[in-house]
Amino acid sequence: MTSISMDSEQPGLSPMLRDISRIVLSEEEIRRRVRELGAQISQDYAGLNPLLIGVLKGVLFFMSDLLRAITIPVTVDFMAISRYAPRQPAKGPVRLIKDLDEAVEGRHLLFVEDVIDTGLTLSYLLRTLKARNPASLEVCTLFNKPEHRLADIPLKYKGFDLPDRFVVGYGLDYQEGYRHLPFVGELKPEILRLGRSGSEDVKRANLEKAGH
Amino acid sequence: MKASARSFAHPVEEEFARILDFYGIPWQYEPRTFVLERDEQGNVTDAFTPDFYLPEQDLYVELTTMQPHQIRHKNRKVRRLRELYPDVNIKLFKRRDIRSLLLKFGVEDYPEMMTNKL
Repeated sequence: MTSISMDSEQPGLSPMLRDISRIVLSEEEIRRRVRELGAQISQDYAGLNPLLIGVLKGVLFFMSDLLRAITIPVTVDFMAISRYAPRQPAKGPVRLIKDLDEAVEGRHLLFVEDVIDTGLTLSYLLRTLKARNPASLEVCTLFNKPEHRLADIPLKYKGFDLPDRFVVGYGLDYQEGYRHLPFVGELKPEILRLGRSGSEDVKRANLEKAGH
Repeated sequence: MKASARSFAHPVEEEFARILDFYGIPWQYEPRTFVLERDEQGNVTDAFTPDFYLPEQDLYVELTTMQPHQIRHKNRKVRRLRELYPDVNIKLFKRRDIRSLLLKFGVEDYPEMMTNKL
């Protein structure tokens, strides 16, 4: 466990740091593991020109760092899907709201995820991609939470197993907040009970500063 | 079967079924009762009916919103089921797991849903 420095070099993060009870994975631990994954992928996919695919938005941070750790030619593309809307069944089942720009038939695909928890989202996306006849389709996730897995997801690359706790940072959010924390930290239980996120604190602080 | 086409014993179960529907994961509600114990005459004295079965995953799922100190009985049933039916895959989603799941899928009124015992 790493203690949290409240004298962060990024003062803008301070309101969010107050909401974190402990750091689960430090910035340095994440950076080191991403470099290792990049090296392994570079070795395994040499000469295959793989297409790395991510689903927006949480994967942005990992994808960005992973791409820079890969030393072979690759291309990248993103998908986005509709979110589950509680109490609004009329919105229908999950659907793509942004499809890939690249054709994938015959390509070697590596699906890159920030975290796999239940596996429900990824299960849908893998089914969609498989139907397009790629040459291969593998999964790389930085964070794995196997406790709540409801769909089988074969993992070729995995960064870390995460504890069965509600964690945020490095792409992981709570109510769209905390994604940009450079580490992964456990959110204080009272934040979850109150149902508010650090991003709301920041908005509130900015409004106060602006004299509203 | 769709969540909207049937009734559930608890709102958490209904929400869980809706989430599965959303992602196109087939499910069955309480499809099988496992006998855990019989008396000397062969009568069933203890049994367990998990809440959901996911056929594509060959996985049973049991949900409970009971507080941690209240689930000894449920834990025992799951443990006994695993002993007697080692080929059966079952996951027990406890209160904290359900909270994580509902938070992840943006169910903001989850505290109210968890007040009734499941």
